[in-house]
Amino acid sequence: MRSDPTILGFDTSAAHCAAALLQGDAVYGERVVEMARGQGEALMPLLEETLGARGLRLSDLDALAVGIGPGNFTGIRIGVSAARGLGLALGIPAIGVSMFDVMAFRTMGDSVLVSLPAPRNEVYVQPFRRGRPAGEARVIDLDAPPKDLQMSFGMFIVGHRAGELARAFEASSLDAALEDIPRRLCLIAAQRLSEASSFPRPAPLYIRPADAAPSRVAAPKIIG
Amino acid sequence: MKPLTVLGIETSCDDTAAAIVQEAALGDRILSNVVMSQERLHAAFGGVVPEIAARAHAEKLDHAVEAALDEAGLGLPDIDAIAVTAGPGLIGGVLSGVMLAKGLAAGSGRPLVGVNHLAGHALTPRLTDDLAYPYLMLLVSGGHCQFLIVRGPDAFQRLGGTIDDAPGEAFDKTARVLGLSQPGGPAIEREAGQGDPNRFSLPRPLLDREGCDLSFSGLKTAAIREIERLTAAQGGLTEADRADLAASFQSAVTDVLAEKSRRALEAYIAEAPRQPVLAVAGGVAANETIRSALRSVAEAAGARFVAPPLALCTDNGAMIAWAGIELLHAGHLSDMTLAARPRWPLDTGQAPLLGSGKKGAKA
Repeated sequence: MRSDPTILGFDTSAAHCAAALLQGDAVYGERVVEMARGQGEALMPLLEETLGARGLRLSDLDALAVGIGPGNFTGIRIGVSAARGLGLALGIPAIGVSMFDVMAFRTMGDSVLVSLPAPRNEVYVQPFRRGRPAGEARVIDLDAPPKDLQMSFGMFIVGHRAGELARAFEASSLDAALEDIPRRLCLIAAQRLSEASSFPRPAPLYIRPADAAPSRVAAPKIIG
Repeated sequence: MKPLTVLGIETSCDDTAAAIVQEAALGDRILSNVVMSQERLHAAFGGVVPEIAARAHAEKLDHAVEAALDEAGLGLPDIDAIAVTAGPGLIGGVLSGVMLAKGLAAGSGRPLVGVNHLAGHALTPRLTDDLAYPYLMLLVSGGHCQFLIVRGPDAFQRLGGTIDDAPGEAFDKTARVLGLSQPGGPAIEREAGQGDPNRFSLPRPLLDREGCDLSFSGLKTAAIREIERLTAAQGGLTEADRADLAASFQSAVTDVLAEKSRRALEAYIAEAPRQPVLAVAGGVAANETIRSALRSVAEAAGARFVAPPLALCTDNGAMIAWAGIELLHAGHLSDMTLAARPRWPLDTGQAPLLGSGKKGAKA
């Protein structure tokens, strides 16, 4: 892989359409367009604009970076499906980047717990050590955070309602919101491109199982 | 225009499907037709769970596309256009399909064409039998039931349709209350083969009313009442009871579809088509009892009966690719703002049969 890859990063995992372009060592055209719906219609034109502003085409790209969540299920699928289609057609890697990675970007602490907003009174969390995921992502109740999340060596909690969460642990904290998503997607993907040559296809990070209840219809009793 | 080779993508329900179809002589058109069924994923829930379906489509569809290309021995550069189901259907799956198709189209520089899923079914007899317009179509599946006069790739006149459940839905629900496996169609058909279709007198909804509209939800309710009556009287159902109920249910659905088809044929033949045809599509058309009743009705009316092979009656990518070919020749193209639509009636000139309000007509 080239040392200065051209990467298009995009995200639709929340109520926005976001994109940015990494070219050489600079990020261009970072845009986050807020929208509650219509991302499926807006995403591709936004990508074309982002490339067009630099006089580039899709065929100039070395890789794609896409946000895989956690977040809005439908939104995550919009981005991931587009990335898979583009990756397949262009023959370039489509690199899935989680919002935990985005939040933890350049947070190099030994013991970091990253917290992201979830529906109701819950948060999504994932532990990181030295900037790398160090455990499974999970969803937890803010009123009863599981004790096994306690990390040693100066635990630091960063993200959504981090201060509140820190009260349940021996930890310092910093309340932070996700920002700079498309730029960070590009930079994280560039880092990964420099470390590996093949990548799994981007897959949604839902954390929550699909909402589905087994059938309650009882079969009739069959008598002999 | 040179003969087209088109990739078709279909994800509107629980089949993840991709196919390559080329314009060629009958029999040489379908280069590949990959269908990855999700049946197993939904089995425990007694029906298709939209979120489970959407999750599976999002992670399988690109594999289905690659398999379809491989089987056809082609690469994306050999494809002239990408056709994708843009609705109606379960929106999560449709959206995944549309976005993957947009990525493929943008990345390969090939045109994109959004296809109505129902048009895919309705145009299948042209893919398989080169039918001439206009022909009468009975579309009968797990999600849909309507009579259409097909006049062109974008010209459909609806003569009637279900006002509640689709027959496939009624088969599934009735199989569930009888304790038979899903999907209910084949399960009931097997069971009915050993039963007496005349033992239980189940209703034939809307037969007393004019026109071609149908109703199936009451039929399922009537079957439940018979089960409750038998259970109260004898503590359960005997194997014979179950087979007889399945047969009686199948017979009622058959009678309703046959009689309404007869009326639809009457309206269609009044137009004096040169070669009258009744064609069927949809999974329910696989039922042998229903199929032979429809054939008799068509023959009695002097119409040819056309039923595509089962693999092309149920959801598949080949029908979408073919509809894409027909739409491209009619000058249709979509751009990158193509929207996925949960609801998209084929015939918008008619008063809605189902659904209204903010979401619009369902059928």
